[in-house]
Amino acid sequence: MSDTAFGFILLGVAMVVVLGIVFAITTRSGPRPRPPSGVHLPPPSYLPVILSIGAAIMGLGLVFKPDDQFANLFLLIPGLLVFIGGCAAWVRAANHEWRDTEHGDGGH
Amino acid sequence: MTAGAAEIRPAGDDHLVETHQTGMPTVMVGMLLFIASEVMFFGGLFATYFNARASVAPEPWEPPPGGELDMALAGVLTAILISSSFTMQFGVWAIRRGDTGKLKMWTGITLVLGLLFLAGQLYDYSQLGFGIADGIFGTVFYTLTGFHGAHVFGGAVGLTIILARAMQGQFSGRNHVAVEAVSIYWHFVDVVWIAVFSTIYLLR
Repeated sequence: MSDTAFGFILLGVAMVVVLGIVFAITTRSGPRPRPPSGVHLPPPSYLPVILSIGAAIMGLGLVFKPDDQFANLFLLIPGLLVFIGGCAAWVRAANHEWRDTEHGDGGH
Repeated sequence: MTAGAAEIRPAGDDHLVETHQTGMPTVMVGMLLFIASEVMFFGGLFATYFNARASVAPEPWEPPPGGELDMALAGVLTAILISSSFTMQFGVWAIRRGDTGKLKMWTGITLVLGLLFLAGQLYDYSQLGFGIADGIFGTVFYTLTGFHGAHVFGGAVGLTIILARAMQGQFSGRNHVAVEAVSIYWHFVDVVWIAVFSTIYLLR
């Protein structure tokens, strides 16, 4: 089996694993909480910009690379870390925001 | 009010109160706006494809030497994806009648068809004989089909969530807006593939 075929098989397996995780999380969460009443607007945040910067660094890692390599790891890995960190921070911020709104601590 | 948003009290009230839902649900509005942005995104990709194709004229527009597009496999994948749109819609019609059992069945079938499409696309990639770095054809081919595949995977995530929620009994004949929203997205992905297939495989 060629490296390319093996890579695509790996990608397919990763997709199935992600779907399995999504299924497990969704079924574990129980009844869905109702959103707080009223119109809620999220507060300003730098996190979307940070996420975009991470994605851009990853893209640069795919473009500015040695000819014999898939990507420039010195750009790809930091970009990936910034991207994942930005995602995690955004989810945390959204959770905090949800709790604050539920408890009536502003945010409307 | 439009778009199912909550009613906002006049100035003077220091808080907002949801009173009743009218018009289109907010989730549907959000999905339609998202799809509108996706139309522009794919519009850009198609523009890139045709610009690249025009730039190589009068040279023939074909895969790099040693590579060849598999028309038969692409045709089968097209049939699979179009079929999945029908099964998705059967699921929507089922939940509109309040039939959660049929919703689960049709959503499951749609998910399997979507995964079959993705598996077929990955198999196709492994057999093409050229890569994304092999000339302008390879670049625009993988960019267009790859982004579409990523969208199919996004739809598969949505279908997985719908299936999981349906198995928990979270949908009913009156409460199934998420099913409708995901179905619209899935139909959109299907339509985009028809455009991709027609552009790459039929307009040779």
